[in-house]
Amino acid sequence: MSRHPILSSAAAIVAGLLCGPFASAEMAPLDDAGMAEVSGRGGIYLSGDISINELGGPVQNDYFGRCDEGDKKCGARLAYQLKEGGGWMVLDEIRGKFAFEGLTLRVRSIDSGFGGDGELFNRDVIELGLPDTVRFSDVQFKLAASNTPRPTDPGFMQTDIFAIEMQGDVLMQGNLLVFPEGNP
Amino acid sequence: MISRFTPIVSKALLPALMAGLSLLPVTATAELEILDDSELSEIDGAGIGLVLENFMFSHGTDAADPNGEQARIFRIAGIQSSNGQEVDITVNHLYIAGSGSDYGNNLAPLNLGRLLNPFRIDVVDGDEIGITKKAVLEMAAPTMVDAAQGYDCLGGSAVAGSGTCSSRPATQDWQGERADMGMQMNVAVGDDRSANLNLHARSAVIDGSYLRLWGDDERRQMAGEFRLNFYSPELTINACSQDGSNCGSNIVMSDFVLQLALGNRLQPIYFDVDGSGNFLLEIDTIDAPGAGQIAANGQRAGSDAAIWDFYNDYYSKPEFRSNVHIGNFNVEAKNFGSARVEGMLIQHLQIQTKDLAQ
Repeated sequence: MSRHPILSSAAAIVAGLLCGPFASAEMAPLDDAGMAEVSGRGGIYLSGDISINELGGPVQNDYFGRCDEGDKKCGARLAYQLKEGGGWMVLDEIRGKFAFEGLTLRVRSIDSGFGGDGELFNRDVIELGLPDTVRFSDVQFKLAASNTPRPTDPGFMQTDIFAIEMQGDVLMQGNLLVFPEGNP
Repeated sequence: MISRFTPIVSKALLPALMAGLSLLPVTATAELEILDDSELSEIDGAGIGLVLENFMFSHGTDAADPNGEQARIFRIAGIQSSNGQEVDITVNHLYIAGSGSDYGNNLAPLNLGRLLNPFRIDVVDGDEIGITKKAVLEMAAPTMVDAAQGYDCLGGSAVAGSGTCSSRPATQDWQGERADMGMQMNVAVGDDRSANLNLHARSAVIDGSYLRLWGDDERRQMAGEFRLNFYSPELTINACSQDGSNCGSNIVMSDFVLQLALGNRLQPIYFDVDGSGNFLLEIDTIDAPGAGQIAANGQRAGSDAAIWDFYNDYYSKPEFRSNVHIGNFNVEAKNFGSARVEGMLIQHLQIQTKDLAQ
């Protein structure tokens, strides 16, 4: 069976187009001088608020329930098992709203400062700029130990160790610098 | 038309497509080779280094305004006294700030961790730290350094070579890596709000502290090793109220050193929650050697060498032991001198929470 001439040449063109983006002309390696010109400036500035089960949702009534009812739960629950077949460490009833202004994320090159450490360090780090203040609204959580992961599981028993409640402006200033450490 | 050409299209296009696509992995096959087990065991991923720069933290509870509203609230609740009354701890102030904070009144930024010796989160090869054939999750503060490069842990001197701490005290030119930290609390038992408890540590260092966690195969449980080093030139405990009035005696411990070892590689600390939902912390008693494994005279010669080394490590390693040093213990004007508790080895520990309501 003879091959259709038009299709054969079309196939060659399609194959050529497919390979085009990977051709060496496009993917020339950058030399060190070229790389030195590349900069990751900029970064991200974040502001906003996060609300975790703060009020238990938009509807609170006899049918959907309310947060203060004994058999209803509004907060999030995080359970972690420490032993096979054993009980669970629990962060329970995690609720509240965190609002912040000015959380920043960028890559920063450090080659000076830090009481003389910067010059010796001379590397890039990821800088997470903490907002000066974080406004907490009714933030609460409870540390507890429980015999089942969920409160709805049969035989559920839980010992609350303590509960934390925070409200208002929390002063949290500074930059968190993150970088690889150790010998890869 | 299309249906007539389809077999031809597939025959003509496919080889060309395959040829085109086959060009792609040429470089990939050269780069990606399978690693065998022995090569894999040599791989050690770098951990994450963390440094807090110009850091400051402060939160607390404000006095109520005329309408009874409080702008800031920080409360620890859910604890009961032994006679069943609710214990409510109102945290008036919790702070971490630079040296010279005057007990939290004058907050200034500081650095925590050094770029050359940061806080670290890493998965380490257990073989290197005596926990054989385990991958160990390690969270560590800056490590202790050689006395030739380090700084005096208790503050006094900011000259390199004065001690083994890596974190530096504050000087005129540098804010340092040592934190003033404190917590002022009002403890209410039932309706009684009279108890205040305030703790302040000046220029504190936790260098050399770490928490290591791994899984125990036999017990199928989380096991750990916790080391807390805490050095402060001045640790103060008093019972002043938030406005500074109604002060009880001021207890000042100068040159305070705590080196706490909970669990070690031979006797790890185990974490568990029991069937009734109570938290359980356990350090098992170490097994006694079998008959004849240690020679009657206790010498290595004549003993099972591996067993003898094991017990020798257990008794002789200073990092398994806890120490407390207090340079000077003062209650108001009375001076009780210095105190030292050294070489405590925790041989058995079992701590369990109990719910009084049950």
